[in-house]
Amino acid sequence: MLIFLLACDPETPEPVAEQIPPVPEVTSPEPTLRKLTTSQYENSISDVLGAGLVMPTSLEPDTEIDGLYSVGAGQASVSPTGVVRYEDAAYLLAGQALGPDHRGMIMPCTPSGITDDACAEQAVAQIGRRAWRRALTAEEQARLVGIAGDAAAVLGDFHIGLGYAVAAILQSPNFLYRVELGVPDPELSGRRVLTGYELATRLSYFFWNTTPDEALLAAAESGELDTEEGLAAAAARLLADERAKEGVRNFFTEMLTLYALDTLSKDPLVFTHMSPEVGPSAREETLLTIEDLVFSQDGDYRDLFTTQKTFIDRKLAAIYNVRAPAPEGFGETELPEDGGRRGLLGQAGFLALNAHAVSSSATLRGKFVREVLLCEAMPSPPANANTAIPEATEEMPTLRDRVQVHLTDPSCSSCHRPMDLIGLGFENFDGLGGWRTTENGAAIDPSGELDGKAFADAWAMGALLREAPELTSCLTATMYRYAVGRSVGEGEEALTAWLDGDFARKGRSVQSLMLAIADSPGFRYVGELEQ
Amino acid sequence: MSWMSWRTDGRWWKGLSLHGRGVNRRTVLRGLLGGAAVGVGLPMLEAFLNGNGNAYACGGVIPKRFGLFFWGNGNRPERWVPDSDAADWVLSEELAPLLNVQHKISVVSGMSIKHPNVFPHTSGVAGLLTGVAPSSEIEDGAIRAPTIDQIIAAGIGNETIWRSIQTTPTGSSGVSYNGLHSQNPPEASPYALFEQLFGANFNLPGDSAAVDPTLALRQSVLDAVLEDANRLKSQVGRADQLRLEQHMDGIREIETRLARLQEDPPQLDACSMPAAPLADYPDIDGRPQIPAKSRAMCDLLVMAMSCDQTRVFGHYLSDPVSGTLFAGTSAGHHDLTHNESEPQEEVHQVTLQIIQEYAYLLEKMDAVQEGDETLLDNSVVLGCSEVSLGKTHSLDDLPIVLGGSACGRLKTGIHYRSYTAENVSKVMLSLVRAMDIVATSFGEEEAEVTDGLSAIEV
Repeated sequence: MLIFLLACDPETPEPVAEQIPPVPEVTSPEPTLRKLTTSQYENSISDVLGAGLVMPTSLEPDTEIDGLYSVGAGQASVSPTGVVRYEDAAYLLAGQALGPDHRGMIMPCTPSGITDDACAEQAVAQIGRRAWRRALTAEEQARLVGIAGDAAAVLGDFHIGLGYAVAAILQSPNFLYRVELGVPDPELSGRRVLTGYELATRLSYFFWNTTPDEALLAAAESGELDTEEGLAAAAARLLADERAKEGVRNFFTEMLTLYALDTLSKDPLVFTHMSPEVGPSAREETLLTIEDLVFSQDGDYRDLFTTQKTFIDRKLAAIYNVRAPAPEGFGETELPEDGGRRGLLGQAGFLALNAHAVSSSATLRGKFVREVLLCEAMPSPPANANTAIPEATEEMPTLRDRVQVHLTDPSCSSCHRPMDLIGLGFENFDGLGGWRTTENGAAIDPSGELDGKAFADAWAMGALLREAPELTSCLTATMYRYAVGRSVGEGEEALTAWLDGDFARKGRSVQSLMLAIADSPGFRYVGELEQ
Repeated sequence: MSWMSWRTDGRWWKGLSLHGRGVNRRTVLRGLLGGAAVGVGLPMLEAFLNGNGNAYACGGVIPKRFGLFFWGNGNRPERWVPDSDAADWVLSEELAPLLNVQHKISVVSGMSIKHPNVFPHTSGVAGLLTGVAPSSEIEDGAIRAPTIDQIIAAGIGNETIWRSIQTTPTGSSGVSYNGLHSQNPPEASPYALFEQLFGANFNLPGDSAAVDPTLALRQSVLDAVLEDANRLKSQVGRADQLRLEQHMDGIREIETRLARLQEDPPQLDACSMPAAPLADYPDIDGRPQIPAKSRAMCDLLVMAMSCDQTRVFGHYLSDPVSGTLFAGTSAGHHDLTHNESEPQEEVHQVTLQIIQEYAYLLEKMDAVQEGDETLLDNSVVLGCSEVSLGKTHSLDDLPIVLGGSACGRLKTGIHYRSYTAENVSKVMLSLVRAMDIVATSFGEEEAEVTDGLSAIEV
């Protein structure tokens, strides 16, 4: 890339580092309120009210739009049932937080009696600031103190009374929605610049998937985040913090739809290694692999698809038919060269999730690679198409034999070939992710094709996928959508393309990509409001 | 602001014709957010009082109820549709479990969805329950209009503690929508449902309403929350204003409920405290205990209606595209519908299992005496799926059963067969009207109708 640039522009005497193209100016779409996702709600509660609370069992389910809950959170409405659940949750949590055993963690003062407005004010200001991610106005504070005082007087207990104020804080849209609306930019009309508090919120949920800490709110308050240097410094601090692991985990959980593993449905009569723990274990394996690459190694994202290193527990070891590396919990292991299994796509998290309850699926697996990893939309099948795959017979023992019609009939093949020719490469893995070399007594042919390039098996496909340019541009665009909470806007493609170039220049380090996104104009600015 | 409502194409429009007095802004928003072109007025109960000359009849002391019993992935039409539509018709194989209530149901066959079948399954849900085709843009098949249960809840759900109750024995997401990207999630735990309906705040008939000071405190908290929402609303763009308005509707609904909890409960003979269900119904051989769980939930729904806690419910046996492993089957339901070889004996067995649960619900409702009638007589429970033959996602000859007569507004004991693939929106419009809701039309574009299906109406 650098050589190419030099060759094109031999006149420039500047050193190589100066050849980096400038960040494109883009116009972002209008901002929308971003509802906290379920995981953001729970993480924020733990930070605001202290760890160890029993979380509500049901909140409004997240909505996936454009591949991400984080995009859905900018568009979905809360149903009446969802509002009821928020109310239930608020009292459940406020009651625990102010109970005798827990209140020491969050109370800044000891009340002098059943009512003590000064103490209530301190508590409301402190809890409200963390929950609403900004300082409360005097009016807001007074109203909450009033609620706490009235309730304390009626119920005869200061802390129970204060619980009503906390319940009001937690039910308020100021907590439940991230308000990232900005103010008109004095430098450019038609553009709004996010305030310090709003940037703190954006940074914190992007890097940590939770509410800002006190240091970040202080930086917002002091105006530090209003400068590029201040913002970059804050982003660097967040990334270096242990909590950044939760941010990266949540991003990949959304992108790879790993949340669906919690309700993985497999027929245990067909897959004897199936149990309710397998789905969550598979999710953890994938997340530990990603965490290791991103944080322990700060490695090249593409290596996720060829790495032989993985982290498994006994359940997964049994499915993979390898020795469990640890007697309990997860341990690191190197998958054998001759085992045929490597990379994220050799893990049960991908293989079992993209398959049927009793069998594998070339189409579902190929579709996942196309849509999620390469960002190529696959159209729905025509609704009236007969998609039946014939049952196995002596003449057609393998899935490859049975899907021939999808690959050859012109009305099927234009969509099915790009998916199935990838998916058939995983046929050495059954519907749960166990290894097999035969199906119904016949040898499995695990060869396939990725964008015109033939591969012999899933192992070889990992190497091909690693070199596909869409693999990194897709990650870049997906993470950008995740950070800004909406689809890539018209004209913003130039920015995501620039980010992808930057990603390449920095060795495809996911950490660098996160910093670059936080540093980009799409992160700091939003478009005009449509009134 | 004059009467306005939000339509699916995102433009404001005026000129909605509303009938009936006392229509409030919220009712209109409820009925139209997302845009089914249905004019929703308050129920005009007086107009239909004593329709059968009985003073202690439905519509007076006793309310009307609406239920949606939904399952995903369709049926086997050749084993579903009864052979005859004459007066002496007999139940088909897949409808056989309904024998005990045959005289209290009507089977409607041959109806079609008129929108193009673009998104497998989703086109069916949208076409059947909203009459509005799914969005075709980046949302890629999102439902964008309220479903019939919510259209009806807007008309008859506002006088009870709960506007509508949604339940599922299989962890289904349900198919109840308020509009675009606004879905009503069902409760999946029988015990949580029990707590919601019959927990601490429940009062039996004869009890005087609890003097519970926390109710007023909760109300003042909600007032503060509403104030925050209103302030935020003044700062955001138009789309967010609607989202916040919907959130505020939810808050106001809780406020109404808190006020009701401070009134004396309605005097209803059939209302009593039900037994608590089990805390857990673990899977057996990787298969959910659907009958046990569904029946526990239906028992609670029936009692909730007997106590007039709600007048509208949705019970979702399974989702569209559901891969649920039913007892005695060898693969997930959706997988079976596509890949089991003909004549798909297992798909047929799944349909039978589903209809058995529908029959359980109807029989349970019919066992509740209300005046001279039963709860089932005073209700209509729409049993349906989003497709007929799952294998081809067919939107023709949809499976539809109507349980109950909605207080004599709908015929029962009949099989109506359409030989001209009539628009299924007609059935929906008949149902909305049978609930005494004044509606000018149902559906949009090809699916729009202004007349109900007269053959099922009394």
